[in-house]
Amino acid sequence: MSVTNPTVHVVDDDTSFLAAISRLLRASGFAVKTFSSANDFLAQCDADSPGCVLADLQMPGMKGFDLQLALAQTRNPLPIVFLTGHGDIPSSVRAMRGGAADFLEKRAPKDKVLDAVKRSLARDTCERESRTRQRDLRARFDALSKRELEVLAHVVQGRLNKQIAGDLGIHERTVKLHRTAITTKLRVQSVAELTRLTLQAGMFTASRPTFPKGQ
Amino acid sequence: MSPITIIWSMIAAACLTLAVINLLVWCRSRTAWANLFFSLTAASIAVFTFFELWMMRAETPEEFGTAMRWAHVPMLFWLVSTTWFVRFYLGAGRRWLAWAICGLRTLSLLPNFFLGQNLNYHQIIALRRIPFLNELVPIAEGTPNPWILVGQLSVVLLVFFVADASVTAWRRGDHRKALMVGGSIEFFLLSGLGEAVLVFWGDVQAPIVFSLPSLGMIAAMAYELSHDVLRSSQLVLQLQARENELRESEERMTLAAEATNLGVWIRYLKRDEIWATESWRALFGFAKSEPLHLDRILQRIHPEDREPVRLALARAIEGEDSYEMEFRVVRPDGQTRWIASRGRAEFNGESYPILTRSVSLDITERKQAEQETHLLRQEIAHVGRVSMMGQLASALAHEINQPLGAILRNAEAAELFLQHASPDLDEIRAILADIRKDDQRAGAVIDRMRGLLKRNKLDARPVEVGELVSDVIALVRADAVARQLKLDVDVRVDLPPVCGDRVQLQQVLLNLILNGMDALNGASGRDRLVSLTARLNGSQTVEVAVSDTGHGIPADKLQHVFDPFFTTKPNGMGMGLSISRTIIEAHGGMLWAENKNGGGAVFRFTLPTTDEVPSE
Repeated sequence: MSVTNPTVHVVDDDTSFLAAISRLLRASGFAVKTFSSANDFLAQCDADSPGCVLADLQMPGMKGFDLQLALAQTRNPLPIVFLTGHGDIPSSVRAMRGGAADFLEKRAPKDKVLDAVKRSLARDTCERESRTRQRDLRARFDALSKRELEVLAHVVQGRLNKQIAGDLGIHERTVKLHRTAITTKLRVQSVAELTRLTLQAGMFTASRPTFPKGQ
Repeated sequence: MSPITIIWSMIAAACLTLAVINLLVWCRSRTAWANLFFSLTAASIAVFTFFELWMMRAETPEEFGTAMRWAHVPMLFWLVSTTWFVRFYLGAGRRWLAWAICGLRTLSLLPNFFLGQNLNYHQIIALRRIPFLNELVPIAEGTPNPWILVGQLSVVLLVFFVADASVTAWRRGDHRKALMVGGSIEFFLLSGLGEAVLVFWGDVQAPIVFSLPSLGMIAAMAYELSHDVLRSSQLVLQLQARENELRESEERMTLAAEATNLGVWIRYLKRDEIWATESWRALFGFAKSEPLHLDRILQRIHPEDREPVRLALARAIEGEDSYEMEFRVVRPDGQTRWIASRGRAEFNGESYPILTRSVSLDITERKQAEQETHLLRQEIAHVGRVSMMGQLASALAHEINQPLGAILRNAEAAELFLQHASPDLDEIRAILADIRKDDQRAGAVIDRMRGLLKRNKLDARPVEVGELVSDVIALVRADAVARQLKLDVDVRVDLPPVCGDRVQLQQVLLNLILNGMDALNGASGRDRLVSLTARLNGSQTVEVAVSDTGHGIPADKLQHVFDPFFTTKPNGMGMGLSISRTIIEAHGGMLWAENKNGGGAVFRFTLPTTDEVPSE
């Protein structure tokens, strides 16, 4: 678990603007790192450190949207706020569809810019926590053996030990042993909690669970 | 019965049969005069046979004389009808000779009936019987009638007439006809004449038997005529074969037409009937066996196109003979299709129309593509017109927002730094330096923009005025067609090239032409015309004029039309003429507007030729 301060990563090819915006952010109390191109940023960015990205939409080389796509592929996608010199509706729509936290003109009011940065940092924290929880949960379930998973599937359906034993062709006592192992490994007290946790982890659903987006 | 009676009766019967047949032919086809005269010829021989038989059966000289006298009547008919048969059948022979023959022969009837016993004998004294075909037949003895010369002269003339006609026919190439008809008649005439001469002037003892040799002549003539009948029946067969071929080729044509989705329709004007191929019916949405009528077809045509189509069809029949048009068809299922049609009227002889024949083709897809292209062109034109402003504005926004944004953020940061208890003055100095730098950057952007339109930035090259004009005309032609106005271009071919930026000059021309077209928007009538002329003005200037036939420019606005943002159009930007003038002046020329005497406005601009490059 990282304990570093959240950092605002500013990506813009215009060094003059890059310097100005980083000054403003630093003066407003944020930790700032500047990159003059999207490739630079992707090369240096540490996926485990919290923060957000403030990127120019129109850059030579890798464009803002490509950066957005590349970020989404990483383990811990940082929220991205787009800045543009001259905004138009189609690109703003595209940015928001791609999951951008915000889309602002370079000359947008200061408060709007700072708000957007704060919001995306909060979003990052929140997403990061939920992802950590999820990962932890999955790790617990991964500890279960194949037989234990089979028994679990029956248990969350509300079936009795006797029925489970009949279905799986094992002794009722063995089922009880498996249940004890399951509750120990998953650190739960009751069947109700077991069922809630199973749902949360997205076990036994048709598709693999997706990580929740947004708050 | 005696052989003579049998033979003569048979001759008469044969002749009568032929006469009746040919008379019937003539009744069917009243222009077959040759058949009529042949019929008369054969009939007169049949009658003559009767008198000949009477003569051979005569008991007394008086009876013999009377029979001979009356025999001259069928003789007259025979001569006249033979003459005219030759005239009509061979299509030759001198007409005056024919009339002379008829006249003389008719004249010879006078001495026949009034002078002497008959034309041959002044007086028959006795009859002498001589053996002929196992019988004794009478021949006359008496004084010859000198008037017989008149009759014989007519026969001699006939000999000449037939000879002359045959030679003419022969020369024309009708060898067989000349030989068969002319030859047989001549043979008969000469043999008959010879016998007559021998009998009357010589001392030969023989009965006068005209009918026997005449049978040969009749046979030859009949053969010839029947040959014609035979040939015409062969022609009928050939015609049928041709018709079959024609039908087959028509079928093949239809098949080919169907394969290419061409619809064919034929309108028979006299019967007021319309025939159409299946694919044509499909084009217009008619069922297979649905009866077609012009009114119903016109009903299928889009109301806006109906009248032009009706007019084109009417004009084709009135003698313009062919037409070509494009129109919309609204099918019963509600579908609208574009049809291209091409047709022709066919005339009987000189000017009487029989039918119209047309092919139709579905061109909906092409039309749609055209319309799309047209829209695209309009878009291009529009973009072209506003692009200078638009590009300028967009580029300005992009380029200037960067430094402006940086200035803003720097200033905001500085404010925040100053709020600290001990502001970092170095940082603030750096910020101020950056603000100054960004301000200069923004200024430089504006300077560069302004410089873009300046003369020294022109991409000046030799430009052919003709090419320049045709490029722009190609762009607006479809627009002009859509707006139903005429575009007239008159560019002198010997113009020297001008010096300038091709794209910018195109922009000016496009602007002026589109303005001219817009000026015609309210105008109606047939003289909706935008004309473009280019000519040499002096030796080193080309003058281009774009004029329209609209309402012209109100006098009080004439001097403002080049002002920026001045416009008379509801959604105009008022930049076109202003930019155009800037461009032309940058090229070292002038652009000005005038009103024409006859109404409408004319915009003229001048450009120096390459000999006189504008120098900075």
